[in-house]
Amino acid sequence: MSDRAVVRAEQISLAYRIGKSQTGTFKEHMIDSLKGNTTYEQLWALSNVSFTVEPGQVFAVIGPNGAGKSTLMKIIAQVLPPTGGRIRVHGTIAPMIELGAGFNAEMTGRENVVLYGTLVGREPKVMRNRVADIAAWAELEDFIDAPIRNYSTGMLARLGFAVATDTRPDILVVDEVLAVGDEAFQRKSSDRMTSMINAGSAVVLVSHSLEAVERLADYVIWLEKGKVVMAGEPEEVVETYRSSAGG
Amino acid sequence: MTSDSDARYDSARRRRPLISDFENLRSYRGLLRLLVVRDLTVRYKRSSLGVWWTLLNPLLFSGALWIVFGQIFRFETPGVPYIVYLLSGVLFMTFFAQGVTTTGSAIVNSASILTKVSVPPEIFSFAAALAAGANFVLSLLPLLVAQLILGVGIPWTVILVPIPVAATVVFVAGIGLLVASAAVFFYDILDLTAVFIQLISYLTPSFYPVEIIPDQFIWLVNLNPLYSYLTVFRGFVYGGEFAPAWQFAYMFGSAIAAILLGIWVFSRSWKNLVVRI
Repeated sequence: MSDRAVVRAEQISLAYRIGKSQTGTFKEHMIDSLKGNTTYEQLWALSNVSFTVEPGQVFAVIGPNGAGKSTLMKIIAQVLPPTGGRIRVHGTIAPMIELGAGFNAEMTGRENVVLYGTLVGREPKVMRNRVADIAAWAELEDFIDAPIRNYSTGMLARLGFAVATDTRPDILVVDEVLAVGDEAFQRKSSDRMTSMINAGSAVVLVSHSLEAVERLADYVIWLEKGKVVMAGEPEEVVETYRSSAGG
Repeated sequence: MTSDSDARYDSARRRRPLISDFENLRSYRGLLRLLVVRDLTVRYKRSSLGVWWTLLNPLLFSGALWIVFGQIFRFETPGVPYIVYLLSGVLFMTFFAQGVTTTGSAIVNSASILTKVSVPPEIFSFAAALAAGANFVLSLLPLLVAQLILGVGIPWTVILVPIPVAATVVFVAGIGLLVASAAVFFYDILDLTAVFIQLISYLTPSFYPVEIIPDQFIWLVNLNPLYSYLTVFRGFVYGGEFAPAWQFAYMFGSAIAAILLGIWVFSRSWKNLVVRI
């Protein structure tokens, strides 16, 4: 069974350096280093985290802020190599990106779709041919040539979901974007998600919404200070997490 | 189908910094082209003057300098009208300044993409440097017009202008990567860079003739790599001549050194950056 894992993380750790004085400007840093105050501290964002993600599984990560959730996402997305341990990823990854934030607001919806596709490794030419279908699915045909600074948050989320799920990825990485658009659109996107999962896509999910995690996830890991506190069935893990948080 | 040997990504696999970067550059050609187009269109869409701003901004600046140094101080530039000398210098220094600034901020500005998608972040810096180069070529139009009007003409060597432009793009990309590495740690580094660029602009004979520099200080001017780029460029664009060989060597040498150093420093600091952005 685990031979087919799409993500296999073995004892991964991540260390990074940070200046103890926490200065933010170069000027302060120079002054501090003249005074001999620049000591660096080794911080562990993650230590000895192991897990596997199976095809068709919805894998969720929960934990308080600073627990290492987003660092773990960066490692799965292959943006950040782990300091220790080993992670292997089989298959294609599609991250859900807030289109408005990272992309330039002056760009049109069409340009954003093409750029997103190219970023995740598809051909620009292919993406140009896909724009019409993606816009239609997101119900944004009339706005696709408008700059995205004119889009509402809901429109951006719809386009982001439509482009990320345009081809079925082996792993869909979702970072706190669950409710997309109005009720009808939410049903449509959750149908698409379900059919992708049935077809074998895995979903890796980070969320602060424990209800959403309980409802969607098949497997949950609870991180705290970079360590796995508990892993297993969502009901159990979320319940224990809730009671430990003093809720 | 999914045995260990064909894992698309395995953190245990070794990455060879410089070689992987150049391989990446080739396989990300499509992305690079899109990013350059994006940088250019965004720049022109943002201001209502659009593409004209690229031309107008250095022209206004040159106009002011021309009044002060051409009319009041009466600078003499042997063999070429002062306006042509001045305009070529100002356009080039604008290219360098804008190039380093946009290249240096490209990675921080795209942080929300770069923390989610596994693309080499350097691509964003290279794209910014290339866009600055394209912008510069476009901004040469008024210079060429001035050359025609003032009887300097356009020498055949103008077709060789892409050589110093390409070298400058590489140099700018390298310096920009160094700035980008520091920019994530210190948010004031871009301001400091602007000050530094201004200093080096004054130290480069862009608006004053090199002849006014006393002989005992000429080595200082020669030490400034930007002077080599500018001399090669001026030789091609209006002089119809090749700059001395040592300036070509210094130009290519500093470009290669800058890009190698930039990639090396950046690839070492990237891990520490990405945890935090």
